[in-house]
Amino acid sequence: MTEPLVEIKNLRTHFFTDEGVVKAVEDVSLTIPRGKTLGLVGESGCGKSVTALSIIRLISPPGKIVSGSIAFYDDGRKIELTTLPEAEMRKMRGSRIAMIFQEPMTSLNPVFTVGSQIAEAVRLHHRVSSREAWDRAVEMLHKVRIPDAQRRASEYPHHFSGGMRQRVMIAMALSCNPKLLIADEPSTALDVTIQAQVLDLLRDLQTEFGMSILIITHDLGVIAEMADDVCVMYASKVVEYAPVVELFTNPLHPYTRGLFASRPEPGKPKDQKLRTIPGVVPSPLRFPSGCKFHPRCAYAQERCKKEEPVLRRPNLSQIPPSHVVHCHFAEQIEEQEEAAVKSV
Amino acid sequence: MVALVTIVLLFLVALCSPAIVGTKPIVCNYKGNLYFPCLGYFNPKWENPIFIKDKFRGVYPRSLKQKDAESWAVWPLVYQDPYRRVKADEWHGVPSSREMLDNPVQNHGKPSAHNFFGTTPYGVDVFAGMVHGTRIAVLVGFVSMGIASFIGITIGALAGYFRGWIDVVLSRLIEVVMCIPTLVLILALISVIAEPTVWHLMAIIGVTSWTSIARLTRAEFLKLREMDYVAAARALGASHVRIIFIHVLRNALAPVLVPISFGVAAAILIESALSFLGFGAPPPNPSWGNLLHLGQDHILGKMWWLVLFPGLGIFLTVLCYNLVGEGLQEATDPRLRQAGK
Repeated sequence: MTEPLVEIKNLRTHFFTDEGVVKAVEDVSLTIPRGKTLGLVGESGCGKSVTALSIIRLISPPGKIVSGSIAFYDDGRKIELTTLPEAEMRKMRGSRIAMIFQEPMTSLNPVFTVGSQIAEAVRLHHRVSSREAWDRAVEMLHKVRIPDAQRRASEYPHHFSGGMRQRVMIAMALSCNPKLLIADEPSTALDVTIQAQVLDLLRDLQTEFGMSILIITHDLGVIAEMADDVCVMYASKVVEYAPVVELFTNPLHPYTRGLFASRPEPGKPKDQKLRTIPGVVPSPLRFPSGCKFHPRCAYAQERCKKEEPVLRRPNLSQIPPSHVVHCHFAEQIEEQEEAAVKSV
Repeated sequence: MVALVTIVLLFLVALCSPAIVGTKPIVCNYKGNLYFPCLGYFNPKWENPIFIKDKFRGVYPRSLKQKDAESWAVWPLVYQDPYRRVKADEWHGVPSSREMLDNPVQNHGKPSAHNFFGTTPYGVDVFAGMVHGTRIAVLVGFVSMGIASFIGITIGALAGYFRGWIDVVLSRLIEVVMCIPTLVLILALISVIAEPTVWHLMAIIGVTSWTSIARLTRAEFLKLREMDYVAAARALGASHVRIIFIHVLRNALAPVLVPISFGVAAAILIESALSFLGFGAPPPNPSWGNLLHLGQDHILGKMWWLVLFPGLGIFLTVLCYNLVGEGLQEATDPRLRQAGK
C-alpha cells in the first residue's frame, strides 16, 4: 500500500435548494494514493463530480460541504482542505490540485490564444517573466504532443479540434506540476480513437510527472485502462471500493454487477437486448429508505427497505481486505451467482 | 468602415481644430522667441501671457507686424475665429463679416467664399464654430461614456458574476436610476451649480446613462459565468477579480460595446439638446448645439445655414457612432471574424 496523497473521510456535501436539501455526497470516504489513479464510477447525478469539486473546493452556493474532512499530504505536511481559507485554497488550485473538464470545446476561453492561457496559469503561481511563462507554455504543448507547438501556441481555441483542445487543457492543468489531477470525464466528449490517445497521454504524463489522478467516468473501459483503484458510487454513496483487477473479477454489489452485465459484448446475437438495470436513479430530493438501491435491486429483501447497510469487508475467503462493499447480502448474492454459473 | 473613417476624421478635426480654422498663428517667432498661440483655443492658460501684456487683443496679424517687424508666423488653413467676428482689413482680402451683415442686399451672412457655412447674427463664422465645436462633441461623447461604462460595467459585472443578494440590490439600483429622467435632472442640477461648465454636463450625463450598459453587462455575465472556462480558471487558482475583469469581461466586451457606442451618440444628442435650450456649454464656447440655439429663430427663416450645417454635423456623427457600434462588435469578436472569412 502506497502512502496516501488525499484522504477523504465522511464527506457530506449538500445543496440547499428551494425544493429542499439535496444530499449530493453522503458520507463518502476514499483515499487517493500517491502517484496512482483512483477511478470514480457511477451514473449521472450520483455525486461523483460533486465529490471532485469538493476536493478542489469549487462548490458554489447553494452547495456546501457540511461535514467531513479532506486531508491533503504535501511534502510531509497535512493540509485540511475543508477549513483552508479561500486565499490559501487559491494557491493550492493549479499548483497542487488541477482539474480538467468534460467539455474541451467550452473549457478554453475563446478570446485568448492557447499559449497565453497556459502562460497565465504558470504566472498565477510562479513569479516568472511573460517570456519564460510563454516558453513554458510551448514546452507543455510539446509535452502533450501537439505538433508544431511553437506556432500553434499563438492560435485561438477555435483553431483546435476537440481532442487537441483536451490536450491543451491537460497542458494547462499540468503546467504547474500539480500533485493531483482531477479529470472529470476527460474523454467522454471525444471520438473513440481520440479518447484512447488522450488516455494514453494522461498515463504517460502520470509516469513523467508522478502525479496522482482522480478520474471520473461512467465508462468502465476507461476505468479498466486507467485506474489502479475503483470507487463505485450510487445515489451519493460509495457502494463498492476495490483495486481495479479485483473489482473486474469479483464485482460484489448488485449495482456493480448490473453495470458489468449491461456492457455490450462482441459475439452476442444482435437481436438479444442489452441487459439494463431496471428503474431509474432516484431523485436526490426523495431517496428511498434503507438501502438506496433496493427499488432497483433484483436481490432486495425486507431488511434492505428498512436498514441502510454500512460499507464493510465481505465475509468471503477469496476477497482481499482492500475490497469493501455497501450491501447486507453481498455474501449470499455471491453464493447464489456462483451456483448459477456452475449449473450452466 | 466609412463610419469608422468619419469618426477618426472627427477626432483629427477636434485635435487639430486650431490649426484648421483660427486667427491665432500655429507657430510664431516674436521678439526672438518661438510661441504656439493656437494652443490658447484648447485652454486660455496655455497661451503665452506675453501676448496679453503686449495688448494683442486676439488680433495677431496686425499686432505681430506692428510690434516686431522681424516676426514670422505659420497661420491656420482658414483665417476665421469661432469666438469673435473678423474685422475688416484684419487679414488679406477677408472682409469684415459685420459689413456683410450690415448690407442685406449683398450678403446677409450667407455662405460665401470667406464664410463657408455663413455667419451667425453676430457675424461669427459658422464654419469656425463647427470645427471648434467638434472638440466638445468628441469630449462629451467620450468623457460621459467613459464615466458611464466604468460605473455600468463594474455594477453589471458584480451583479451578474456574484448573483444572490448582490444581484438583487444592484438590479434594484439600476431600476431606480433608470427611472430618473436624465434631461430634467440635468436641468435641475445646472440651475443649482453656480457656474456650470461643459465638464459638469459630461459628469451628469455619465452618472445617469450607465443603466443600459449595466443591464447588458449583467446579462452577459450571467451567461458567461456558467462557461466551463470560468470553472477551469477557478480550478487553476485564478481569483474572482481576475476572472471577472480578464476572463469574463473580455468575452462580454463585444456586446457591451454596442450600448456604449449608442451611448456616445446619445450623449452628443443630449449635449446638443441642452445647448439648444441654452443650458449647454456656456455661450462663448463654440458647440454645435449653441449654433443651433442661435438658429432657433430662423429654422424656416432666412438664416437656414445656422440650422442646416450644425444639424447635419450632429446627424452624421450620431449615425457614424451607431454604425461603428455594429462594426466594433464584429471586429472584437474572433468568432464573428472567423465566420466572416
